[in-house]
Amino acid sequence: MTEAIARRPGYRSTWTQVFRSPAARLVVKRLLLAIPITLGVTILTFWVINLIPGNPAQALLGPEATPDQIRAMEIQLGLDRPAHERYLDWLGGAVTGDLGTSLVSGQAVAPQLTERLAVTGELILLALVGALALAVPVALRAAHRPNGLFDRMTTIVNVTGLSVANYVLALLLVLVFSVTLGALPAIGFVPLSESIGGNLTSLILPATALGFPLLCVYTRFLRADLVDQMQGQDYVVTAQAKGIEPWKVLVRHALRNSSFGLIALVGLNLGTLIGVTVIIEQIFALPGIGQLLLQAINARDVVVIQAVVVVFAVVTVLANLAADLLQAILDPRIRYGDR
Amino acid sequence: MAIAEATPSVVAGAPPARSTRAWLRLLGIVVPAGLVVLVVLACFLGPLVLPIPRPTGGNIIDAYLPAFSPGHLLGTDPNGNDILSRILHGGRNSLMVAVAVNLIGMVIGGSFGALSAYFGGAADMLIMRVFDVFIAFPSLVLILAVAQSLGPSRINTILALSFFGVPAMARVARAATLNLAEQPFMAAAKLCGTPWWRVLFRHIAPNVAPQLLTFSILGMGLIIVIEGALSFLGLGIPPPAPSWGNMISEGQASLSATPMLVIWPSLMLFVTVLAFNLLGDALRARWSSR
Repeated sequence: MTEAIARRPGYRSTWTQVFRSPAARLVVKRLLLAIPITLGVTILTFWVINLIPGNPAQALLGPEATPDQIRAMEIQLGLDRPAHERYLDWLGGAVTGDLGTSLVSGQAVAPQLTERLAVTGELILLALVGALALAVPVALRAAHRPNGLFDRMTTIVNVTGLSVANYVLALLLVLVFSVTLGALPAIGFVPLSESIGGNLTSLILPATALGFPLLCVYTRFLRADLVDQMQGQDYVVTAQAKGIEPWKVLVRHALRNSSFGLIALVGLNLGTLIGVTVIIEQIFALPGIGQLLLQAINARDVVVIQAVVVVFAVVTVLANLAADLLQAILDPRIRYGDR
Repeated sequence: MAIAEATPSVVAGAPPARSTRAWLRLLGIVVPAGLVVLVVLACFLGPLVLPIPRPTGGNIIDAYLPAFSPGHLLGTDPNGNDILSRILHGGRNSLMVAVAVNLIGMVIGGSFGALSAYFGGAADMLIMRVFDVFIAFPSLVLILAVAQSLGPSRINTILALSFFGVPAMARVARAATLNLAEQPFMAAAKLCGTPWWRVLFRHIAPNVAPQLLTFSILGMGLIIVIEGALSFLGLGIPPPAPSWGNMISEGQASLSATPMLVIWPSLMLFVTVLAFNLLGDALRARWSSR
């Protein structure tokens, strides 16, 4: 029976249909593009850390090291071999999950990273989810009456939030909530396994410092896009003509359309967000990857610096890819290849 | 952007007399521009004109003086240095770094972007893919890595920040040049056999410059913030030379006892970034509505 159908001219199996759909092509195209960028990111990291003037062996040993000691250290670090050889060696290790051993502690870097990834990941997730959960209702309320009182107040808050640096906001929050009110801890981290309440309490201030500027970026974008959609898009006019309440048109029709742009923006901003965690983790003494990076920078532990920078960059590339793909899956215009 | 979007662009053929809206929009440019000029004048002329002490080399006996002490309007820091003086000199550093990064970005990134778009083809592919790699990095992490390799100094701060500025400018210049390419005068220039360097300087540059300038003003705020972050983490302007970032970092140690050490430079940072952001937004709205 199935064979009879399969022999019909013009028949395509479901799998063929899936693989030949515009969305699948887009996925493949993006995946292929992500590969050279990821490789490029590792090359750039390697170049920045290894080839810029200055001798890591000298830096590690200090100014009083004898030439013999420096020479021995260079051999130990593999600095006597050509750069491309060292890069390929390192890349081969990185692909199999071996990111080298720390020059200072002598421990493998990869397990340390995974341990700290949980802290940084939780911090970013809290900030991101919080910012999105607030941005959507605020933007909807503001776009409901453009130039109304709520809209103007939101605009003022947004402009302020976009101009305040994360580290200034973080210190301000510590000053108000820890020093003056004594309500929240200024530094320290309680693991999730120890106490859920304590964990959240220790992350409220850092997540706010990280998430508030993000909230402003999202609200501003979503509000502008919603207003744009509501002004003269055909489908909005159709919905209005059908007699659907303005509020419902905004939430059910315009928001759906604007959400695609918001997803793309979240993906684009994730790189900045990951970078900022470095400074936030430093201020609140959180044992995340950013803190590891700063400790490694102070100790001139190039192996660890290299590993952290590459992990951060690859995560950013992957996040962008995920945002692209999510958009392709959700947006019917991309799914069916209208654009 | 958010302010300007609310006001729709003036309809073509509107009467030449300025409406309230046009006045408001002009005000939206003049007020932040005035604020920027004020900050620049205060930082660069202030220390020359006002009777304030030097930003470094203070006496430890004068440490932690409160605001409005004789001779020290905003008080002194833990090293006995005048806070007002350090804020103004720190502003010089921040502004000089930001302007230098923008200039490097405009010249190098702008040329790469414009040429890349003008010639197209494989070179365009290659150049933009390379810049894609730079942009794929979390900006602060890339800058931190470069800054640690170079070591802390003002020149190195500028170089490290350029790793972020040049690719961003190249993208803007490329997009603007691609838009230009559809204009008749570009085709005319090509038909006349104008050499590429002449097209670049006489036709592309004057048309792309306003967009690059607007972008660079928006970028000023961002660069000042990142420079502050770098100095805050001890990889930017090295102490005892003042910078808003390293002043905030020094103040952090005694946040509960002397919060003003953090608040004064933070306030300056905020006002300056706000002024640049508002000015950039207003200029962008003005150019895009043309």
